[in-house]
Amino acid sequence: MSLVKKIVTWARIKSPWVLHFNTGACNACDIEIVASLTPRFDLERFGVLLKGTPRHADIILCSGPVTKQTKDRLKRVYDQMPEPKFVVAVGTCSCSGGVFHDCYNVESGIDAVIPVSAYIPGCPASPKAIIDGVVKLLQSLEESEK
Amino acid sequence: MRKVVIPIGPQHPALKEPESFSVTLSGERIMAFSARLGYNHRGIEKACEDRSYTQNVYLTERICGICSHAHSTAFVQAVEEIAGIKIPDRASYIRTIISELERIHSHLLWLGVAGHEIGFDTLLMYTWRDREIVMDILAQITGNRVNYGMNTIGGVRRDIDDEQKKNILKAMDKLEERTLYYITVATSERTVIERLSGVGVLPHKDAVRLGAVGPTGRASGVDRDTRRDDPYAAYDRIKFKVITDDHCDVYGRTLVRVGELMEAYKIIRQALKDMPEGPITVKAPRKIPAGEAVSRYEAPRGEDLHYVKSNGTEKPERVKVRAPTLANVQTVAKMLEDGQLADLPIVIAAIDPCFSCTDRMTIIKHAGSRDLGAMAWEDLRTHGINWYKNKGVDFSRLNEKLKKANKV
Amino acid sequence: MTTREEAAKTALIKKFGFLENLVRIQRERRIFIDDAGQDFERILDFASEDLGFSVLCAITGSDDGTRYEFIYHMARPKGDMLNIKIYTPRDGSRVKTITDKFPGAEIFERELTDLLGVKIDGLGEGNRYPLSDDWPKGEYPLRKDWVKKDKKPEGK
Repeated sequence: MSLVKKIVTWARIKSPWVLHFNTGACNACDIEIVASLTPRFDLERFGVLLKGTPRHADIILCSGPVTKQTKDRLKRVYDQMPEPKFVVAVGTCSCSGGVFHDCYNVESGIDAVIPVSAYIPGCPASPKAIIDGVVKLLQSLEESEK
Repeated sequence: MRKVVIPIGPQHPALKEPESFSVTLSGERIMAFSARLGYNHRGIEKACEDRSYTQNVYLTERICGICSHAHSTAFVQAVEEIAGIKIPDRASYIRTIISELERIHSHLLWLGVAGHEIGFDTLLMYTWRDREIVMDILAQITGNRVNYGMNTIGGVRRDIDDEQKKNILKAMDKLEERTLYYITVATSERTVIERLSGVGVLPHKDAVRLGAVGPTGRASGVDRDTRRDDPYAAYDRIKFKVITDDHCDVYGRTLVRVGELMEAYKIIRQALKDMPEGPITVKAPRKIPAGEAVSRYEAPRGEDLHYVKSNGTEKPERVKVRAPTLANVQTVAKMLEDGQLADLPIVIAAIDPCFSCTDRMTIIKHAGSRDLGAMAWEDLRTHGINWYKNKGVDFSRLNEKLKKANKV
Repeated sequence: MTTREEAAKTALIKKFGFLENLVRIQRERRIFIDDAGQDFERILDFASEDLGFSVLCAITGSDDGTRYEFIYHMARPKGDMLNIKIYTPRDGSRVKTITDKFPGAEIFERELTDLLGVKIDGLGEGNRYPLSDDWPKGEYPLRKDWVKKDKKPEGK
């Protein structure tokens, strides 16, 4: 692996910037994502920083079952993210649609729209589960780059 | 002056909801505002017709993750009315206690979000830290931090034991002490008062005309609270104050919410004291006889209305949900009239928009010009914070002061 | 002693004789008018101006397979609700807007248009709610005969 790529990977793993995107969720997972960034759970100690724009994000944390209105925007946001990029489906709804899987305005899960790197189930996914999931993703990145 | 309309994209971090608002500007001044809602529309009402009543208790709970107990309670109340079921008293009290715990976590959440919007970030950290006290209690009593699964048709599914009672009372004392501190900050810190006063003004008559509910309405002097006016659960047996305010602005909305926090602690203490022994549920039939009912509930954001029509089968004929934010979003245009762009984030945040109750979006347009400039919510928020900094309203000092006083 | 609900019922029947068997008190604080018919507007005005039911909480539209039912949920400060029903045929359903007196009705009327295909007379241009811009025309999800395409049965 080239030196540049090694440095970039190291930077991603040491300090990933995440984007939070709600695709029509009930908010429970969204609040838990924000809670995981507060001092009690402190996702920031892993170097994870919440960023407001796709252009600076390494990881997109998605919540929600993907309503029809959010589908195109989700794709667009994903396309705007620079490589390498990773998608985390937070909560049962983004994994599979959850209780809304057969509702008429819903796609039933993030992976129907964009490729998913990690699935964190839960209704909602608790902050501990979110941290566990993100850390596992970072570890797998480290593994794959060895 | 050239008019500018700015689309605020449907992905912004602060509100954590996809939504679109359209704003027309003349310089910094807001000339017009409209909302295009629909991003969170999932099709729940239709889905309810395809699920049993019990399944719908869980589905309605997930309409909104912040007021989940509100929706599931409003739903079961309607079903219980149709079926002629009277739930045990103890269940009424337990529902009330969970309701108020939900109100507490919701209002503390809101305080943090509001702080974040205006650059008062230490407030976010501390209110959300305090909020964890409530989340722990809820997890203890119900098994989950959110989406409690407490309700069933005919009562509640879990009881509150003496150990949990003790813990709840301890938590109430702790939270009351913290909330008194926040009230002091809100009422005596000049920076807070300057930042929030005169912002997002909604005169009383407009609040009435446009149908504002909850703290948004009460901050404009609309003296309505479903808990007092159309009582449900155990509220008809509990003494509490309905908090109203006459500021008619974001400052007033803040005062109402912290006031409601203080009342919530009192209500929970009363409920724990008065809660009678006895069963927590009565048996309910699977098939609900044909009928209909309108159920109302005072969610943290305001009046939540559920209409249920049954047809004698295991599945409802029709379920209609009117969440509070749908009523309040129609007041935002009035609040932003003649306001400035710098105030947009806090004004929208101040109705405590639970867009998943409703659904939402944000769009900004530039008038007079063909180009649609896109401004992310984060940029709007930064714009607001800097605009006020230039006017001498700066939260850096207050952030430092709070950090020192609250060694986490 | 007459309750508030009974007083409202009496006043309604006094003014609109045909409502004799159509006003129903379901329980305390819940009154239903089971079919306001052609006099809906006048009944709504009377209820909101004379009887104090000045708050519009919501409008529920439903399809029962043979006709559309609309319930206008009105409330007054003491917590009583007056739920006024009217009916239209399923196809070509139209109702007159009430936004002139109740501006907050707009969002509920838009919802009726999107989900049931109801035409709202007198309601101007505005953002649709709640369906997306690319939702197929003529598809009204709340109709009883509307089924989601490629619907997966439970458990599969």
